[in-house]
Amino acid sequence: MTVESTTDNPPRRRSMSLWLRTYGTFIGLLAMVLIFSLLRPGVFLSVNNLRNIAEQVAILAIVSTTMTVVMVVGDFDLSVGALASLCGVIVADMLIKQLGLVPSIAIALAAGALAGALNGLLVAYAGLSAFVATLATMTAYRGLSLWYTDGSTLFSGIDEAFRPIGQGSTGPVPNSVLIMLGVLAVVWFVMEQTVFGRRLYAIGGNAEASFLAGVSVRRLRLIAFIISGVGAALAGIVLTSRLFSAHPTAGEPLMLTSIAAVFLGMTMFREGEPHVLGTFFGVLLLGVMNNGLNLLRVNSYIQQVITGVIIILAVLISGLARRGQR
Amino acid sequence: MQRITVRPNIALHMLIGLLALLALAACTAPVAPAEAPAGDQAEAAPAEGEITVSVVTPYMANATTKYVIDRFQEDGQAKGWNVPVTDTNADFNELVSRIEDAVTQQVDAIVLGMGDPAQMTKGLETAKEAGIPVFGLDAGVAPGVVLNITSDNGQLGQVTAQYLAEQLGGEGNVVMFTHDPHPGVRARAEAAAAEFANYPGITIIEKKHIEVPGPVDFARSLTQDLLTAYPNDGDIAGIWAGWDEPALGAVQAIEAAGRDGILVVGIDGTDFAKEEIAKGGPFVATVQQDFDAMAAQLADIIAAYLAGEPPAEEQITIPGILITAENVNQ
Repeated sequence: MTVESTTDNPPRRRSMSLWLRTYGTFIGLLAMVLIFSLLRPGVFLSVNNLRNIAEQVAILAIVSTTMTVVMVVGDFDLSVGALASLCGVIVADMLIKQLGLVPSIAIALAAGALAGALNGLLVAYAGLSAFVATLATMTAYRGLSLWYTDGSTLFSGIDEAFRPIGQGSTGPVPNSVLIMLGVLAVVWFVMEQTVFGRRLYAIGGNAEASFLAGVSVRRLRLIAFIISGVGAALAGIVLTSRLFSAHPTAGEPLMLTSIAAVFLGMTMFREGEPHVLGTFFGVLLLGVMNNGLNLLRVNSYIQQVITGVIIILAVLISGLARRGQR
Repeated sequence: MQRITVRPNIALHMLIGLLALLALAACTAPVAPAEAPAGDQAEAAPAEGEITVSVVTPYMANATTKYVIDRFQEDGQAKGWNVPVTDTNADFNELVSRIEDAVTQQVDAIVLGMGDPAQMTKGLETAKEAGIPVFGLDAGVAPGVVLNITSDNGQLGQVTAQYLAEQLGGEGNVVMFTHDPHPGVRARAEAAAAEFANYPGITIIEKKHIEVPGPVDFARSLTQDLLTAYPNDGDIAGIWAGWDEPALGAVQAIEAAGRDGILVVGIDGTDFAKEEIAKGGPFVATVQQDFDAMAAQLADIIAAYLAGEPPAEEQITIPGILITAENVNQ
């Protein structure tokens, strides 16, 4: 796309690129749904399969939603996967030790908040980059869950009252999906409808200006990491209930996938900022793609290649469109 | 000109940052390796004259790897050795660094706790140059590995495939859950496929790669999708899993979907697999490797080697024991 072409026909070009940029990911999702529905008629769009997809993405959606908060501020949290594993292990152990449902969950969530606070302190107060700080804590949290479990799987004697969280349904809707929707609603409201959320966006836009405007940048960055930590803990709890066993590295795949989901979501917005709703579309895109490729019986290895290509395409389309606008 | 005031493209910057990070993660992760439970011993400097046999593994989070390494550690310590264990959490690049560390510390021998030695040739060469012998504990045979002791992974795959085929009456569609980058699991899958080929009525309809870490959840979601892709009773008769974790995920998906008539077999004889088999659900069999014998024999072989008697063969295999509802409670 050349400068000339932009100046030759600016309004049309701009509206076209704006349209593509804003709806590219959404159209990608729709196109995928359409293709899968056509290739597997009556299967892909069946109620049962849609429920499966929702259930499969619920845990990722929880982590990605809270990851969005950290990324709005301009940081990353690489420790979420290891932290989800750790909190999953903690809740399982507490349940095996007969502490009861509510105290066990509360302890695991508190551990998540504490670990998130540690990340936040390192980044906001000690001045470490989010990459380095959470890369280090990721390793430490992984080590903790391996040490805590002695590297083994916890499965025997978990309180049955814990099972409905990840495996039960309320009416036709899986409980894990309800938890996901709850997290989405709360975080969306906080980010889009409150002064607190606006300030987080302001910090992400220009931390220095926000500081000069009297926003307590450090405190807010710390809080963002605590939110991410609690999200990771919640995801770990749901995962442990879903598998009804706790594996010391079970949550690890969540880290990169959640960041990918936030990126995919960012392509949907004009400013290229992370947004809760965008992230959710990113999660759906990844989930639908996985499910659809499985239904189409695509080779496992090729599935990974296709997933990578589609992420790049989505980001590229929005990136190209934005360059066209300049 | 107003365009100049447009904010830098945050998304693009963050993406570049992410890529930089991935590159960073790939090379700096070794800075703080997740210590295995025996980590405290890894810190201890070998005392003068004391024999140190260093164990490095990429798979300590796997229950089976942990079991066999724990047994080996006990057997080694019983011989008065110092046996530090280091885990790299599926990172083979880091594994090479850990092998090089062990060489620098001039340990008496290095043991690979699973993991494909072909993926760590650089580390093996370093050890060979330093004259430090490397032994495989259920790893693989490669130049630079003096001896590998293993279950006959082929036998494990064959015996579970045979049991599944017989339980199905020699007929039906079978899905295989594999992980080919792991040489042991690959050998199991190859032998299982060969065994299934002996039954003309058995068709392998899918071979699916299971990702680690997180194999249980991965297999669970995958099985959900397979049950949707093959919606009728009888579309899938059996699932053969290369190890117990994905078998567990498959069993959970089958039970949650309320599908009948799908049998699942795993390998490794883990406690959770035995619990499922004892329940009498879709999980019908696993096979237990004789890790106690494996660890004990390797310790003896290393002791003989250090006493100046190198082993005659480069691979020793030990058969496994099939566990079904009939013998699970014994």
